[in-house]
Amino acid sequence: MKISPRHITRTLTLAGVIGISTVSFFALGAGAKDAPYATSRANAGTPNSSVVVRDANGTITSYGNSAITYNLPPSSLEAFGEALFMQSCASCHGSEANGHPTDGSTEQYPSLQGVGPAAIDFWIESGRMPAVQPGNVQAIRKAPRLTHTQALAIAAWVNSKWPGLTLIPSVNTKGANLSDGAALFALNCAACHTIEGAGDALASGTYAPSLRHIPANQIAEAIRTGPGNMPRFTGNLSDAQVRDIVAFVGTSIQHPQNPGGFGLGGLGPVGEGFVALSLGVGLLALAGFWVGDRL
Amino acid sequence: MTEHHTPVTLSSVSENDPRLQPLAKNPQDVERRIAVLFVAGMVLEACFGWAYWINAQPWILGFTFGMGLTFLGIGLIAWGKYLMPQGPFVEERHVLANSAADRDAFTAAIVDRGGGVIKRRKLLAGLLGGGLGVFSITALFPLIRSLGPLPGTTLQHTDWKKGTFAVDVTGRRVHVDDLTVGSIVTIFPEGKEETDNGQAVDQTVLIRISNSNFTTQKGRETWGPSGYVAYSKLCTHLGCPVGLYEQKLQLLVCPCHQSMFDVTNGAIPNFGPAPRPLPQLPIYVDAKGFIRAQSDFHEAVGPGFWERS
Repeated sequence: MKISPRHITRTLTLAGVIGISTVSFFALGAGAKDAPYATSRANAGTPNSSVVVRDANGTITSYGNSAITYNLPPSSLEAFGEALFMQSCASCHGSEANGHPTDGSTEQYPSLQGVGPAAIDFWIESGRMPAVQPGNVQAIRKAPRLTHTQALAIAAWVNSKWPGLTLIPSVNTKGANLSDGAALFALNCAACHTIEGAGDALASGTYAPSLRHIPANQIAEAIRTGPGNMPRFTGNLSDAQVRDIVAFVGTSIQHPQNPGGFGLGGLGPVGEGFVALSLGVGLLALAGFWVGDRL
Repeated sequence: MTEHHTPVTLSSVSENDPRLQPLAKNPQDVERRIAVLFVAGMVLEACFGWAYWINAQPWILGFTFGMGLTFLGIGLIAWGKYLMPQGPFVEERHVLANSAADRDAFTAAIVDRGGGVIKRRKLLAGLLGGGLGVFSITALFPLIRSLGPLPGTTLQHTDWKKGTFAVDVTGRRVHVDDLTVGSIVTIFPEGKEETDNGQAVDQTVLIRISNSNFTTQKGRETWGPSGYVAYSKLCTHLGCPVGLYEQKLQLLVCPCHQSMFDVTNGAIPNFGPAPRPLPQLPIYVDAKGFIRAQSDFHEAVGPGFWERS
């Protein structure tokens, strides 16, 4: 066969098309694979993955994004915080916040050095600290003994001497995706807190508390710091995902719609079955007796 | 209460017998009331239809449907009780049994004559019996077949293999920097997170219990890199997802029957009905910092079964 210039042109065109499409196929494949494996969420909730603001001394005062902003408590409160700490906390946690009581007893309490302002703020503002019975297996939630400013002051002083993360989160639920929040809640929270957020018993006298009346910022603090037996959620939840969960808890969990009329506390099939049997069947039985009596 | 009458047959009652009169003293008035009930029922059922059409709230559907039927029912009962003849009436039915003579004649026809006719065809009777016998044996086959194929060794394996990347539920690979101490995430073999197996036997919990390599049992020295340990999420009791992690007590709790597994000690059950520890997945951290499996689980995951060694 005679090879003409047309043959050569065609062959080169074909080779070019095959070559370009092969390269772009792999390039597209590689591009598609890169995104989900990025590790940008490493240590979410810390300054590593967000916009950071520093003061004149170089101390980080704020970081975060449009979903959650993490703020350092104002340093002007530190002196006030030290006095409050010595008065309300030091009897157990010690004047050095290292968990050795000031009275010299051998009891060992949690060290607060480097736990970060969010953890301290959570424990005080949820009323768990100061504890009714220090050393109990689980501190109970109660009306807070200290005000918001007092909690910030204690966090400010402890953090100024033994700095740590996480700073105090402020959640902006605007633009939150409630359906993502529901899925994330079912995946990460419902195992212990139940799908209705009513809380449930756990091992060895511990329990997961109800989420019905928890303010948004305390939910974010708990997720990021893992108080007590609750796991910490850091790299496995981005700030936007925490925002979605907080928004879902603030709406569907704390203001449930209950299309059936009564929520019955969201306690599940035992409570609902009890009501159905005792009230429903009881009423039916009374109606049956009444009809039988009349005939 | 109404006075009781002796039951009589309807045909024997004269036209102005009190038993033919309705119970109501003023039937016109009662009829009006019943009519009101029926109209109310009709209107409520129409409302139900309308509510259903516009997809209204469930309680509106239930209320209109239920109350509508209730009004119709009360009206119907009132009609029967107050406007119908009071009765009571009885109607004797005729005797059902045939006469003795008929029965004797039938017996004679079947047993004495018909019996002989049937017995004449021994070959056919035998073949019919044989056919029915074969049929009844083959009828057992679907029962045996429908028990399904033998599971083979599928119960012993999961999709975790040497080098499999661990991904979270969204398919994102888990990196060694992702979790801090006290964090937990459910992981799946990469690419299997949406499959039936991935949603069942492959589920594994990844917990970071320390910042340095962690050994949960003798012989598992390399299984806990950078403090990460991975256990099957299937309870060894009945296969519930063991997703309740208590980071201070270092316990994994099963929500179904409260079995508790010691995370720091090879997930040995220290409370509850679970008979065996949760199998631990050997993992390693690759050069880029991703969590990957060293191999499959070394034993079958989930609840026990007959051939489990």
